[in-house]
Amino acid sequence: MKEFLALFNIDLLTGTIRLSIPIILASIGATICERSGIVNIAMEGVMIVGAFFSTIFTLATNNPWLGLIAGVTFAMLFSLIHAVASVSLHLDHVVSGAVLNIIALGLTRYLMILIIGHPGTTDLIKTSLQQYKYAIPVLSKIPILGPLFFNQTPIIYITFILVIVITIMMNKTKLGLHIKAAGEHPLALETLGISVAKMRYIAVIMSGFLCGLAGSYLAIENGTSFTEGMTNGRGFIAIAANISGGWTPIGAFLSSLLFGFADSLQFKLQASKIISLPSEVFTMFPYILTIILVAGFVRKSRPPKALGVDFMIEKSN
Amino acid sequence: MFLYYINFNAKGGFKMKRKVIVALLVSLLIIGFCFTFSCQKKSAQSKIIVAMATDVGGLGDKSFNDGSYNGLLKAKEQFGVEVKVVESKQATDYVPNLSNFAKENAKIVFAVGFLMQDAMMEAAKNNPNTYYAGVDIGVDPATAPSNVLGILFKEQEAGYLAGIVAGLLTSKYSDALPGLNKDNKVGIVLGMDIPPVERYQAGFYAGVKAVNPACEVITIVTNVFNDPAKGKEAALALYEKGCDIVFHIAGLTGNGVFDAAKEKGKYAFGVDVDQNYLNPDVIITSAEKKLTEATFLVVKSVLDGTFQGGTNVTYGLKEGGVGISDFHNFNDKIPQEIKDAIAKAIEDINNGVIIAPATRVEAGYQM
Repeated sequence: MKEFLALFNIDLLTGTIRLSIPIILASIGATICERSGIVNIAMEGVMIVGAFFSTIFTLATNNPWLGLIAGVTFAMLFSLIHAVASVSLHLDHVVSGAVLNIIALGLTRYLMILIIGHPGTTDLIKTSLQQYKYAIPVLSKIPILGPLFFNQTPIIYITFILVIVITIMMNKTKLGLHIKAAGEHPLALETLGISVAKMRYIAVIMSGFLCGLAGSYLAIENGTSFTEGMTNGRGFIAIAANISGGWTPIGAFLSSLLFGFADSLQFKLQASKIISLPSEVFTMFPYILTIILVAGFVRKSRPPKALGVDFMIEKSN
Repeated sequence: MFLYYINFNAKGGFKMKRKVIVALLVSLLIIGFCFTFSCQKKSAQSKIIVAMATDVGGLGDKSFNDGSYNGLLKAKEQFGVEVKVVESKQATDYVPNLSNFAKENAKIVFAVGFLMQDAMMEAAKNNPNTYYAGVDIGVDPATAPSNVLGILFKEQEAGYLAGIVAGLLTSKYSDALPGLNKDNKVGIVLGMDIPPVERYQAGFYAGVKAVNPACEVITIVTNVFNDPAKGKEAALALYEKGCDIVFHIAGLTGNGVFDAAKEKGKYAFGVDVDQNYLNPDVIITSAEKKLTEATFLVVKSVLDGTFQGGTNVTYGLKEGGVGISDFHNFNDKIPQEIKDAIAKAIEDINNGVIIAPATRVEAGYQM
């Protein structure tokens, strides 16, 4: 028991942060997107695209900041396809999303052969964002909270700031309320003279921005290279986190943290050898937790009313 | 010209158009078929085809699939065979990928990876006139069809040598490198727990224990071969626990282990091929298995007519099929005693004095 309690130290929590960041970013993206009425299962693919281009540009320019900008930009452009398909072309959202996921895998692989010369994994980048780790004076000296929140790498800081900014945006600003209206009652919004399509475009591109950050985090901040399929299902976990978070940014943030915590905990449990179980049980642990959470909380939370519902003013009555 | 014609038939023009389009498509289809068939015949007559299907890791992994593929390319260079390769995107691709090569008249088809075992057996039974060879796939001589060959490696022997280096460095010679500590712990990060991976692990454990019985060996399984972020987290958990050397047997997941080692100022061992170039500051050595040589030799046996199916070939230290790579830039800092210990172990393994265990049970290792 004592050994078990010893697991709950600062290392476990910093591990939690590291593992949660990509899921937090993507799940907030999912929240914005779904609040506007667009189902977005393409986040996995958008993350891959972001990870790929951030690595390529970092390799080419040897500047991870330019890589980050490129990763985010291309992720936004890629998610724009989802917006065009689902908003302007009135395609089923799930179909568009599923197709984009597959395209992302094929596209990155194809470009990799074209640019790098082989598929698989790229060369290592020389300078990663990890080197820009910055301890905020005074604040980073606070026990526990200091090393967790105030001695971190750039994208982690950006994530914390975005959680706050997006929460305020969604609840207090005109833009946020319009996005929410587009997902609840698009006709009402349209009759006010505000374009539903525009709001949905904005939401999808915002989610592309966030997924681009998530992908860049995996490739050029936490890691040092791009590997095919390196997002490994995080985009889908983010959708679950968004749902169990009740379609709110803070909820998504917390449930992503919980997933990261469970993942971090299973690594420490394996390392400490306290419990002897088949390794698969450890690996499954975070996912099982997610299922339980989704099953337990989802009943209480309600999806946006017009989620996945196509809006065409000519056809609404 | 067709369009011109259609425009002048105002009445029933649409019907006309449809007919023309259908006719065009059908003729295209027929021409296409003619081309593909004629092309296939041509290539079949000119060269012997050697084919390979990768598992989901695919080419470009800089270790397992690439290593096997290079053996085929070497055969292409030396014997002028034609090389074909297909990458499997998911497990359901295995059987069609392996069978299609038989239809293309491949002489021998390589299935790369333990996970393709069942698929290879099925494909081999359906295509008795094509040879199949499975890298890392063991076949049962009692039941296997005669056109199947299993190519196995004694990974445990490479792991054993790596274990000796790790076991000695982590305690007795912990002053040799600045990142080593006195905790007497080493770590292993596994990808999926499959037999070839287990052989490396069991051998490594036995190697460590042979020179350093008090050493604690901690394993973390990530259950994934292409997620560097998980590899990094696993390695960080091990380093935080006091390990100073982590041996990864995790494919591309292992790239994250090197990142973690660099961040923490600790060390790592590579796997399958000499990975030192990936991160020269932290990778002391790699446990190698010489896939290129193995697949090349099998192709050669097919061309010589000495291919013997229905059994396994096993490449160990003695055959030069496995080994441990150079220390590269660590070479000056590694004490001579460790190098002597490796030489001694190689000799003992070759003479059969030491038999490296192939499973955790044989090694007495409880994860």
